[in-house]
Amino acid sequence: MASNYQNSKMSKISAALLVAVGALIMLAPFYFMFVFATHPRSEIFQVPPPMTFEGSFMLNMDILAQRIPFWRNLGWSLYVAIAFTGLTLLFCSMGGYAFAMYEFRFKKTLFALVMGTMLLPPFLGMIPNLMVMNFLGWIDQPRALYIPGAAGAFGIFLMRQYILSSIPKELVEAARMDGCGEFRIYWSIVLPLLGPALGTLSLVSFISSWNNFISPLVVMRSVEMYTLPLALRSMQNPVNTEWGAIMVGSALATLPLLVLFVHSSKRLIEGLASGAVRG
Amino acid sequence: MSDLINHMKALSKKVIWKKLLANICIGWLSATACGVRAENVTINVAAFPALDQIVKAALPEFYKVHPEIKVHVLSREFADHHTAMTTAIATGSNMPDVMLLESGYMGRFADSGALEFLTSPPYNADQYQSKFVSYTFPQGSSAEGKLIAMPTDIGVGALFYRKDLLDRAGLKESDLTQSWESFVQAGEVLKQKTGVYLVGNARDLKDIVIRSNLQPGEGIYFDVNGKVLVESPRFVRAFKLARMVRQNKLDARTMAWSAEWSESFKRGTVATQMMGSWFGGHLANWLAPETRGLWRTAALPDGAFASWGGTFYAIPNKAEHKKEAWELVKFMTLDRDRQLAAFKTQDSFPALIATYQDTYFDQPVPFLGNQKSRLLWRDLAAKTPAIPLNKLDPIADEIINTEMDKVLAGKKEIELALADAAIMLQKRIRHSMRR
Amino acid sequence: MKPVISLRWAPYFFLSPFLVLFIVFGIFPLLFSLVLAFQSWDPVRGMDSMQFIGLENFNFLIQDEWFWKSLYNTLWLAFVSGIPQHLVAIPLAAYIHRSLNKTRNLVVGIYFIPYITSTVAMAILFSALFSTDYGVVNSMIAWLRQIPGLALILPSTAIDWLGEPSNIKPAISLMVFWRYVGFNTVLYLAAMQAIPKETYEAARLDGASTIQQFFYITLPLLKPMMFFSVTLSVIGGLQLFEEPFVLTGGRGGSDQAGMTTAMYMYRTAFEFNDFGTASAISWALFFVVAILTWVTHRMFSTSGRS
Repeated sequence: MASNYQNSKMSKISAALLVAVGALIMLAPFYFMFVFATHPRSEIFQVPPPMTFEGSFMLNMDILAQRIPFWRNLGWSLYVAIAFTGLTLLFCSMGGYAFAMYEFRFKKTLFALVMGTMLLPPFLGMIPNLMVMNFLGWIDQPRALYIPGAAGAFGIFLMRQYILSSIPKELVEAARMDGCGEFRIYWSIVLPLLGPALGTLSLVSFISSWNNFISPLVVMRSVEMYTLPLALRSMQNPVNTEWGAIMVGSALATLPLLVLFVHSSKRLIEGLASGAVRG
Repeated sequence: MSDLINHMKALSKKVIWKKLLANICIGWLSATACGVRAENVTINVAAFPALDQIVKAALPEFYKVHPEIKVHVLSREFADHHTAMTTAIATGSNMPDVMLLESGYMGRFADSGALEFLTSPPYNADQYQSKFVSYTFPQGSSAEGKLIAMPTDIGVGALFYRKDLLDRAGLKESDLTQSWESFVQAGEVLKQKTGVYLVGNARDLKDIVIRSNLQPGEGIYFDVNGKVLVESPRFVRAFKLARMVRQNKLDARTMAWSAEWSESFKRGTVATQMMGSWFGGHLANWLAPETRGLWRTAALPDGAFASWGGTFYAIPNKAEHKKEAWELVKFMTLDRDRQLAAFKTQDSFPALIATYQDTYFDQPVPFLGNQKSRLLWRDLAAKTPAIPLNKLDPIADEIINTEMDKVLAGKKEIELALADAAIMLQKRIRHSMRR
Repeated sequence: MKPVISLRWAPYFFLSPFLVLFIVFGIFPLLFSLVLAFQSWDPVRGMDSMQFIGLENFNFLIQDEWFWKSLYNTLWLAFVSGIPQHLVAIPLAAYIHRSLNKTRNLVVGIYFIPYITSTVAMAILFSALFSTDYGVVNSMIAWLRQIPGLALILPSTAIDWLGEPSNIKPAISLMVFWRYVGFNTVLYLAAMQAIPKETYEAARLDGASTIQQFFYITLPLLKPMMFFSVTLSVIGGLQLFEEPFVLTGGRGGSDQAGMTTAMYMYRTAFEFNDFGTASAISWALFFVVAILTWVTHRMFSTSGRS
């Protein structure tokens, strides 16, 4: 009995150790990014990379602010990501609601269509996308970035799963019998119950909008209108990049995402839970 | 006075009051001074680092000469920029007025028909040809020899070596440069006596050897008639030399511009690097500033010449303000002071011959042990031959590099590799024939 | 106030944002690339230069050594980076679910961080970490060799991660694994939290050990979540572009060992200026992804829902 207890304690400790080591590995590159941000350029590219912080953060920050309108780009990234997330939450919840709660002709076809859009790689869309934006007169406008993808397949899929598994049809039926309009049911009854899934979707959408640089690449015409990843990339010289400054930019760019994650992590876990458990 | 009234009418309502007044005054002054109708025009320049900084730095001077032209510079990362330009040309929309292009991309853009022929009126750039390093004009021309972009800087190929390491091994510079065979031999000696590598990657040798000793009418991979040249002795020699370097473990097997590659300079584990003349500046600034005074530069081995990059200014057909764009292009490329400024600040070696008389070239370069390196590079630039470009060069590049990898790994014999390369290239030519 | 939407039209109303956006922004690129797959087009020659060539692009691809190599690379990477993600995420989620309370959110958060970092910044780091002579990974391996037993399986010379063709793919897989394992852990943890504690209680009272509970209760009930996240991994893995692109400097590595099909497509379009072939590649990839998604569906779905 004693040895069993010993064994289980040993295995508990070793399991905890493994997880801790894993956590360190997960954090390490991230940690290095912040370390790099505090070193001058000549020290970053050495191997082994610098391990501790140094004092060049402000220097790099200066270089960064000189080369690109950093705060403006950050602002645009925020604006586009928030608009994108807002629209996505609305459109995808509507779409997911339709697939989950109604029977209608073309339901299967349309759902296959939605799923199909997930399978296409983004690069080839650049040229036709530019043509469409040109036609609409949306060149150099942020709306070209947050409107097109706002009813994305991932979001609709997620919403459908979640609604299917956590909103009973009886609730909707009862509301209908009480004389509620269809939109009322969606807006006032179902939507408030979708908290966790909405939290999840908002996190995923925000991140994907934030890191996207392909769309702004062809559509924006001035550095002042760039979103952050594109602005940071524009500092990359084939042979002479200010890596310290880029690291500062990348590190700062991660902070809003971190904040968002911390804020919604609880909801995220719950949201993805019910969304997929029942398949 | 009617000029002034027209000017006010032409101004957009968005211009703020102060700017409006200033523009009116300047416009009126220049209108009366130059007899030119003063209108405010904004041109868009699409560029990548460091050309974007070079253009921006030149703007104060430019505005003094052309106050009626406003310039807006759009920067993108190097590859992103060319991707965006390709996209713009493909759709015919969102075109800049001035397009910067790097020499590696010239082959692809030259025959597009989307860029203005600068030798035709109203540009008449052929009058300037003699002002530029001779190989740059052909490099910026289409297959029919019509200039589509003005050269601004060149990447003169040079050899950089660690003199101290050579001294320690009892070698002289000529041991490196006399011939490729002596270069490799020197590598053996270096390895024996000092333990350092000769080059960063064996592939570098291949890259230069295939670009040298071209017969008239030959491009790197194709001749002017489109015939595939990859099985010629030039390629065999290149592959053999590279393989020898790899087999004898004379290369550090690093990838250029990687952390490891730059570390090798800090630690002095590699004795030479062949690259554009701007490499010296990078070593000094950030790659290995501690090795100051230890490096020298020389001509490439075996009398080879190569060019590493080089930038051009082009004007798209669909640009809105071509006349103003041309003014900027002329300013950036033909003005001695601009070219020198770019050289001094960004290490952008000028393509304009008139700059070469400047004393800046006579100055010793401290990082390179006070060698008068710029004189050397200047001479090398003048002797560099023009190489006809082909649109399929990037594909051929990829094919040859892949086959080279197999040979270096010992997985394939050279003759078979080159024969396979030729076959693949033929297939690709057939496939792209219709375009 | 709001007009009453009839029951019949309601679903279409709710789907209208998707439909409008799809028609305006989705259909055109789709059709464009479909048409392009049958054309020969050099983009810099402008729209007028497109030429219809039927199935020629597909013919070319079937004989193209690079296309098949890229497909092999892609599948290899998708499996080798994908499977461990799930093999690690599930036990990890089980551990966190069972054993961590106060530190739960922190640990999950740390594992999730790689997902939100930018690839470009991480690329520099990873190439430094994977450096042959000076990298941390190789130093770790050398250090680990000191542990008896491990010296037998670990190599004695420094591994050339990014230069040697056979090592590039493992290096890329490691980076992809690092990036997504936390994401999957979150998904599985979520699913586990939905399993009622009573089920485990009952099993424990019946004498089932922890391990047995895991295999006979947890795993079967995780099937729906496995379907969801494996599908995402399959789709993501087959479309892998960023990680191999930045780790190989956009070239695909020695002997193109790190070139995925998505990268090959990008290079064909923007380096070789061959948009027709590139479109054909993307549609070929689409079919591969569709087939594998269907296979995943067959493997995991309990309710037969797609």
